[in-house]
Amino acid sequence: MNIIISGVGGQGTILASKILAAGAVLDGKNARTGETIGMSQRGGCVVSHVRTGNVHSAYIPAGKADLLLSFELCEGARNLPLLKKGGQAIINMATVMPVSATLGKTAYDAAKMKEYIVQNSHAYFVDADNIARECGSIKAANIVLIGAAFGLGALDISRENLIQAIRDNVKAKFFDLNVKAFDAGVKAAKELK
Amino acid sequence: MWMTERMVTLKEVLLGNMAIALGAVHAGVKVVCGYPGTPSTEVLESVVHYNRDGRINVEWSTNEKAALEIAAGVSYCGARSMVTMKQVGLNVASDPLMSLGVIGTKGGMVVVVADDPGPISSQTEQDTRHFGKYANIPVLDPSSPEEAYEMAKYAFNLSEMLHLPVILRPTTKVCHSSGTVETAGSIYEYQPEGFIKDPKWVIFPPLSYKRHLEIEKQQQEISDLFDHVPFNRIEGNGKCGIAAGGVTYAIVKDIIDAFRLEVTLLKAGAVFPPPNGLYEEFLKRVDKVLVLEELDPVIEEQLYHVQAAKDIRRPVYGKLNGFVFPAGEIKFDNALKAIEDFLGMKLESDSAIPPMELPMRAPVLCAGCPHRASFYAVKKAMQGKNAVFCGDIGCYTLGNGKPLEMTDTCLCMGAGITIAQGIKKAQPDTYAFAFIGDSTFFASGMTGLANAVYNQTDINVIILDNSTTAMTGHQPHPGTGKTMMGTTSQKIDIYSVARALNVGFVERLNPFDLKKSVETVKNAAEYKGISVIIFEAPCIALIRPQAVYTTRNCTGCRKCIREIGCPAMSVANGTVEINDALCYGCGLCMNVCPTNSICQEGRL
Repeated sequence: MNIIISGVGGQGTILASKILAAGAVLDGKNARTGETIGMSQRGGCVVSHVRTGNVHSAYIPAGKADLLLSFELCEGARNLPLLKKGGQAIINMATVMPVSATLGKTAYDAAKMKEYIVQNSHAYFVDADNIARECGSIKAANIVLIGAAFGLGALDISRENLIQAIRDNVKAKFFDLNVKAFDAGVKAAKELK
Repeated sequence: MWMTERMVTLKEVLLGNMAIALGAVHAGVKVVCGYPGTPSTEVLESVVHYNRDGRINVEWSTNEKAALEIAAGVSYCGARSMVTMKQVGLNVASDPLMSLGVIGTKGGMVVVVADDPGPISSQTEQDTRHFGKYANIPVLDPSSPEEAYEMAKYAFNLSEMLHLPVILRPTTKVCHSSGTVETAGSIYEYQPEGFIKDPKWVIFPPLSYKRHLEIEKQQQEISDLFDHVPFNRIEGNGKCGIAAGGVTYAIVKDIIDAFRLEVTLLKAGAVFPPPNGLYEEFLKRVDKVLVLEELDPVIEEQLYHVQAAKDIRRPVYGKLNGFVFPAGEIKFDNALKAIEDFLGMKLESDSAIPPMELPMRAPVLCAGCPHRASFYAVKKAMQGKNAVFCGDIGCYTLGNGKPLEMTDTCLCMGAGITIAQGIKKAQPDTYAFAFIGDSTFFASGMTGLANAVYNQTDINVIILDNSTTAMTGHQPHPGTGKTMMGTTSQKIDIYSVARALNVGFVERLNPFDLKKSVETVKNAAEYKGISVIIFEAPCIALIRPQAVYTTRNCTGCRKCIREIGCPAMSVANGTVEINDALCYGCGLCMNVCPTNSICQEGRL
């Protein structure tokens, strides 16, 4: 299975990919991830690739992702060509305006982006930032999206192993908050279905 | 020497850089040093992660040259050492490396140099494999995190067998990808012999000549050895041959599997000295060859060399005949296109989702970043003046972007201070400014500053001291006093260093005091002689948000956005909004607003 996670530097894409890969390994599969680490973290575009099964390269070819999880609307639109036609796209409704758009050089047209995503994929929009805020921290938006993906049946990893992977990868004091965020994501997905 | 079983076999998802670190730990490395640089940084940090019992001495050195020399000293004592850096770091460390290739080593010594095809986070797309050839040092080039782990362990044994340092050269797609790595559970245990005094450690011309003869002979022996290492092999059958190096092997392998191609695949992982015997066998088995490798056509040239030496003639399709693009990363898509062209068949129809035109999202200085305030103060102070702003390597290189546009040059670590001197010499009526970060100042800024003082070149140096090495993920440095062994040393004070170097004008202040900062920069610029201003304010990653600002009665003039370009600010319905999740409460925008419409939330 091929999963693309996209967002803006600092949104927690790397932790999300770690959890998905660790969950897959607990499920008995092999997993690879490919990360964006470095300069782009400073508010730039970040993309994580997660691949489970027996592949050699960690990087998903264009048009081959089964699932796109995007933490930000514009970055979801930017990475949509990595998704296979008819693939699932689970998109956080939150928008992060790039400085270039603020300076007025290129418009940030959220409605148009949304339309493009809907037309080209099996799209679900989740208000992950606000759901995470209600759970205790906006930083858990990444886990809300993973929960939503699980709730929509888009992940071939068991709940038990995903929760174990969360336990193994977040600080103990944030574990309960993250489980709450996961379940809130699952619940949000049920409402979308 | 003996081996001891100390750990059980584990299967876990490891980042390539962690796999290298774990390989070194299992190989019994005693000392690890390096200088941060993307994509290499996490190797050393992961050694610290695995070093819970403190048996390994780990340090961030002041620069790569210092690190490599320390690792050499460790090796001279018979202990195993590893040094880590990015590719441009090896340029700095090339002086000791070249000589070490002549003198040789004793304890296994591995030089991890991460290359960055793209480049994604680097100044150059240089290929470290050339350094292997230049310095007569073996080079291993992993194709995956799993292989990186195996190669790291093997490299120490190889180094000890050859009495040469070994370069382990991962690329970004290995460093920053993770794989499911099975780690064999033993740590190599041994007692280092210690330093034995011997003339062989002192480089003199006659010794270099003698060693040169030995080393050239040794190259052939290593080449023969590399014919049979598992990192080099021929897979599959078919009259069409594909040669792939490093991480490109993984991509080609996925393409072969996906389309069930009948080709002969040469995997080259130990690439210098070249495995000529294996190359010869490969060439004889095929009718034509496609070479896919990132950066320079190293394997391709090696294959041409074997053809000439062994009188074999097979058409080679690669970078040298323009068949494969010469720069940038090799990805699935462009590798597939090259293979389709090479085989003369279409493998996949283009049916991907068409891209949409979207606003660019370039990396920017974070909301609340003190560099923004420093740049803005200098910009205000020098408005209307003929000034050139020489930048350097770090987060502050992002000062080149709109709207600040305060980086006119950027070349390499430490070059801002010295290029400013060149500009001042050529154009004495120009105010020549140099911006440099705290970590970069210790790495390679001090010598340039000494040069300016000695040669009396009137430059204005701005040291952006944010108490960390921010760009590479917040490593400590001599100015922080924190070490990678968890100890604290006395901080080296940049102000005192500048004073000790006889700089006449030295001031330190907080750049968020905008008025005082602008005034100080003006004074520094008019001072006859070299000036140093140290802008001191911590990187936001080290502190909690100080406050949250908001707009009230905003007139929508957008001066704040036009002047400082803070990512927390955007325009909605004609007025400026501040994103409370991003705002760090630096207050710079409040000082810029001409209508007093920005205030701390809850204060008005």
